[in-house]
Amino acid sequence: MYHTKRIAILLPDTLQSTGLQSILTEYFPPVEVGCFSSYESFIALGGDTFDYYFTLSETFVLNVDFFLPRKSKTVILTDCPMCGPSLPSYTNLLTVRASLETIIEQIQQLFDADVNNLIAGEGNKDLSAREIEVLQLVVKGTINKEIADRLNISLNTVLTHRKNITAKLGIKTVSGLTFYAIMHGIISADDIDL
Amino acid sequence: MPLVYPTMKLSEVVEEHTSLIPVINRFGIRLGLGDKSVNQICEEYGIDPDFFLIVINTFLNEEYFPEKKLQMFHTSQIIDYLTKTNSYYARYQLPNIERHLSSFISMSSPDNGSLNLIGKFFSSFKEELTARIENDGKVWFPSCLELSNKLNASQTAEELKELQLCTIKREEDRIEALLYDLKSILIKHISGEYNENLCYAVIFSIGSLEKDIKQHNRIRYRILAPMAMAMEQLCK
Repeated sequence: MYHTKRIAILLPDTLQSTGLQSILTEYFPPVEVGCFSSYESFIALGGDTFDYYFTLSETFVLNVDFFLPRKSKTVILTDCPMCGPSLPSYTNLLTVRASLETIIEQIQQLFDADVNNLIAGEGNKDLSAREIEVLQLVVKGTINKEIADRLNISLNTVLTHRKNITAKLGIKTVSGLTFYAIMHGIISADDIDL
Repeated sequence: MPLVYPTMKLSEVVEEHTSLIPVINRFGIRLGLGDKSVNQICEEYGIDPDFFLIVINTFLNEEYFPEKKLQMFHTSQIIDYLTKTNSYYARYQLPNIERHLSSFISMSSPDNGSLNLIGKFFSSFKEELTARIENDGKVWFPSCLELSNKLNASQTAEELKELQLCTIKREEDRIEALLYDLKSILIKHISGEYNENLCYAVIFSIGSLEKDIKQHNRIRYRILAPMAMAMEQLCK
């Protein structure tokens, strides 16, 4: 699972930003999109918290101090690819008059560049030794408070472990976890009654 | 946004979304729809077209749920629909999954222990859903109806509106969570030899029950539960 991409759209044109937003939401989930009609409203809302920026070359040039360091994360919308911004070696362009197919391809290229880094950063899906201990107790029907006492950890830590177990395995219910534990020999079927 | 409008041909809608067939059956509508519009069919069967369309549209569209409109319908109408969904689960969908599951287990390798575990998991899910359906029919629904009968029908809608029905913050529904896990276990954690085709049949039938129950639960928690609470306050 990729982490949610936070994207800022800085465009004065409502139709344009709404259209772009729906393309991003539909074809590149999971995304969180913020739309801003001006640079000022964007900065007022903490401009630095986004992963990607979509804007016009005018906005880019006017606020070059902000955008230049984030050049590789910024996409410029343009009418025709030849008359792009007069910035050297500018690569992230979105040609607004191109077909939807082309536009999707252009956005794809931008995100692809970062996928590799993301995969490297993905957490280990295997359970840790501690999580296995917690899981064993959970499926035996032990309540959280008792798990905390037995393992000598705080109730909050138990809750965190349980949250992580669910996130790693994609299983929410105790019945489901029990199934997983038996399947993987974490407990034996004789230990519990199904 | 709504996908289906009163003037559309119901047959075309159903052709596009075959998952609607059990839903229209619940209203007593049977196939052989011809070229009639939604309006014509509702008239023929004596169905309230507004209610019918809202049910269909919320079923098809996860983003569409006009809470205020739904709360304006009569309690008995909502309970009637929920009762019909319940009996559909009990009479058709649960047995259907069970049938697929038991042939899946018997047609797959007999020494694959994980499949028997899945069977047990399903049985415990079935027990829970059956218990909830029974409780709905014997306890919860009758008590809601009794409340609504106590209140003057014409008054109710107005006063309920004034009470500003608050949406009850709901805990995650256990039935939904169990179904999710059942599907996810098959998809993520199944191992050993098994019959692929029957496995798909099981997952497919679980998926359609899951979709149906999600809509049932939205009505249950966001419409009926707050209505019942408000009526209780009015009765005091």
